[in-house]
Amino acid sequence: MTMPREIAFFDALIPSLVLAFLAAGGITLMLDRMLGNRGIYRYLWYPALFRVALFACLFSAFGLTVY
Amino acid sequence: MNRVQVLAFARMGWRDWLELDVPAYIYVFKVLLACLLAMWFSLRFELQQPRTAMMTVAIVMQSQHSGMVFAKSYYRLIGTLAGIGVSLLLVALFAQERVLFLLSMTIWIGLCTAGSMVYRNHQSYAFVLAGYTLCIVGLPAAASPEHAFDIAVGRISEIFIGLFCATVVSDLIFAKRLGNVMLDAVRRRFRDFTMLLHAASDGVSSSHEPMLLNFVGDIFSLESYRASSALENDGSRARRLRLGQLNAEFMEVSTTFHAFEQLLRRQEKTGRKEVKDGLRILYRDLGEVVAPDGEVAHTEREAAAVAARLALFRTSLGSGFSAVDARLPPDITASQRMDFETGKELLLRLVDELLAYTRTYTSLANRQGEGGAAQVSFNLGRHFDPLAVSLAGVRGALALAITASIWMLTEWGSGIEAITLGVVTSTLFATAFSPTKAIRQFFTGAVIAMALAYYCNFHVLPDAQGFFMLALAISPGIICAAWLATRPETAVTGAGMFMVFLMRLGFGSTYDANPVAFLNDAIADLLAILLSGIMYALIDLSGSGWSRQRTSSALRKLVVDACREPLALRRANLESGARDLVQRSGSARRMGEPEDRLVIDWLFSVLEIGHAVIALRKELNVHGACAPLEHALEAIARYFEAPAGPARDTAIVAVNAAGAAVDASAIAPASRREMRTMLHFIRSALQDDESARIATGGME
Repeated sequence: MTMPREIAFFDALIPSLVLAFLAAGGITLMLDRMLGNRGIYRYLWYPALFRVALFACLFSAFGLTVY
Repeated sequence: MNRVQVLAFARMGWRDWLELDVPAYIYVFKVLLACLLAMWFSLRFELQQPRTAMMTVAIVMQSQHSGMVFAKSYYRLIGTLAGIGVSLLLVALFAQERVLFLLSMTIWIGLCTAGSMVYRNHQSYAFVLAGYTLCIVGLPAAASPEHAFDIAVGRISEIFIGLFCATVVSDLIFAKRLGNVMLDAVRRRFRDFTMLLHAASDGVSSSHEPMLLNFVGDIFSLESYRASSALENDGSRARRLRLGQLNAEFMEVSTTFHAFEQLLRRQEKTGRKEVKDGLRILYRDLGEVVAPDGEVAHTEREAAAVAARLALFRTSLGSGFSAVDARLPPDITASQRMDFETGKELLLRLVDELLAYTRTYTSLANRQGEGGAAQVSFNLGRHFDPLAVSLAGVRGALALAITASIWMLTEWGSGIEAITLGVVTSTLFATAFSPTKAIRQFFTGAVIAMALAYYCNFHVLPDAQGFFMLALAISPGIICAAWLATRPETAVTGAGMFMVFLMRLGFGSTYDANPVAFLNDAIADLLAILLSGIMYALIDLSGSGWSRQRTSSALRKLVVDACREPLALRRANLESGARDLVQRSGSARRMGEPEDRLVIDWLFSVLEIGHAVIALRKELNVHGACAPLEHALEAIARYFEAPAGPARDTAIVAVNAAGAAVDASAIAPASRREMRTMLHFIRSALQDDESARIATGGME
C-alpha cells in the first residue's frame, strides 16, 4: 500500500513526508519518555545517538510507505 | 627553574587550557557546524531566507548544554507557531488598513512583552518570539497579502530546519549533559553550604550574607536546569522531583541558618555571656559534625556519612542542652532564659532541616531506591510586580508604535527592518538585570556585524563559487560572534553581532546584495536599537529607586500575607516568593548601592520574621483561636505594611502581651514552648538595631 505523495490539509497541499516526519517525531518522543522512565538509558553508551537513530529508523520506515 | 618545575607548569597550563578554553572552541565549532548545516538544507530546499534558519540556530544554541537547547527549541517552536497564527489572522483581518493592522500589532507586542516578564527563562523567550515572528512574517505578508500563506510556510520551514540542526548537533557532538551539570551544581552547593556552616560555627566568618545571596542565584539556575532536563530525559521523573524537593529544603535550611546566626549576633551584643557561650559550644559541635576539621563532603557517599553523624548528633542534642542548661547561672532573668530556649529551638530546627536536606541529597546517588521518598511536586511559582509587568508591556508597544509611525509618516524604505529590530531589542532585554547596559553591548555587536557583513557582502561573496566558498565566506562572522557569546561579559555583544550579521547577509536563494539598500537597512537597524535604548532609559524598571521600593514593599507584603491570609501557611511560598522577587530585581548584584542594600536587608528580615510567623500560626491552627496572639499578628502585619518607629513599638508591645497570654494559657507544654520561643524570636528581631535601621529606610 502506498500513500499519496501530497495530502490536502484545509486545501493546502502538504507533502506526506511532513506528516511522516511529525508522526515519527511524536512516536520517538513517546518511546523516549517510556525508555527514560524505565531507566533503560543507563545501559546505553550514547543515548543521544540512540535517540537520533531511533528517529531515523522510524522516519525512513514511514517514508517507505510513501515512496 | 629546573626541568621538573617546567614540566609541572606545562602540565598545569595544559589542564587549564583543557578545562577553560577547549569547551569554548568546541562550542564555536558546534555553532558553526549547525549554522552551515542549516544553510545547506535551506539552500537545498530552495527556501527564500536561509538566514532565518541560521538565526534560529544562533538563538537556540546560546546555551552550551544540550538539554537547554532542547528546551529553548521547544519554546521557540511554540512561540513561532503562536506568532505565525496571529500574523495570518491580522493579515486576513486588516491587510488593507495599515493603521488598524499596526494598532493590533502594537497590542500584541505589548501583551508578549508583558508575558515575557511574567515567566522565567525559556518560557519568557517564547513570548519574545511570538512578538518577533509577527514582524518577520506579519509585516512582509501584509505588504503582499496574496503571498501571505507562502511566506508563513517558508518561515516555518526555515525555523524548523534551524531547530533540527541545532538540536541534533548539540546533542550528538561533544554533548554536555544537563544531568551531570546539575549533579555538579548540587554537589558544589552542599560543599559550599557545609563549609559556610563550619566557618560560621567557628565564629571565623564575619558575614555570611553575600554567600546566602549567591545561593539565591544558584536556586534559580538549578530550577531552570531542572525544568529543561525534562526534555533531555536521561534521568527519570522521580529524580527531577527530588531535585525540586532538594531546592525547597535548601531554601528552608538556609533561612533557619540565617535566623540562628542573627540570634547569635544579637546575643553577642546584648545577651548574657553564659547563654551565648552555651549555644556556641553546641553550634561548634554541629559544625564539627558537618565538616570534621573543615573537611567537607565532596560526594554523595561522603554526605551519607554526614547524614549518619547528624542523626546521631540529633539524638545526643537533648542531653547537650541539659548540660548547658545546668551550667547557666542561677541569677539569670526570664528574658535571658527565653533567649536560650529560642536558640535551642532554632538550633534543633536547623539540625532537623539540615538532616532532611542531607538525606535528600544522598538519595540522589542511589538510583535503585528512586521510588522511595514521598514525592510532592515543588513549584517555585511566579512572583512578580503587576505594575512593572504592565509598564514593560507599554514600553514594548510604544517602541513599535514609534517606529511604525515614523515608517508610515516618512515612507521610510527600511521601515520593516527598523520595526523588526526595534521589537526584538525592546522585548528581548525586558528581563535583563540592566537593560541599558545590555542595549549598549548589543549596539556594539551590531556595529561590528555591519562592518563584517559589508565586507562579506561586497568583497567576498561576489567572488564565491559554490557552497564551499559560500561557507568559507560567512564563517569568520559566525566564528567571531560565537566566540564572543562564550564569555559572559560579551555574551550580549555576541548575540547582537549574530543577529545583525545574519540579517544583513546578502543572499537568499541567490545573491541579492545591493550597497544602497544595505546601508539604508544598516542605518535603520542602528536607529531602532538606539530607540529601544531610549525607551529602556525612559521606562526604567530595574535600576530606579522607585522599582526598588516596589520590590521592598512586595517583600514585606509576603509577611503581611503570612500574618493575615488563611491559606498562606505554606512556608515554601514565602521562601521562594521572597527569593524570586529579589532575583528578578537584580539587587543582589548591586550590593554597593544603598537602595539595593535596603532591598537585601528586607529580604533577610522578611525571611527571618516570616518563617517565625508561619511556625507560630501552625501551632495556632492546632490549638484554636487565642485573641492576644491574633492581635500580635495583626500588629506585625501593620508594621510590615508601613514600617515606622511607632508601628514597631506597637508590634513589640503586642508580641509581649501575646507571650504573657501564651504562658498563662492551658496549651500543651511542648507547643507552648514552641509558640513562646517564636514570639520571643520575633520580638528580639523587631527590637534589633538592624531592623530599626531598615524601617527608617537606612537613614539612621
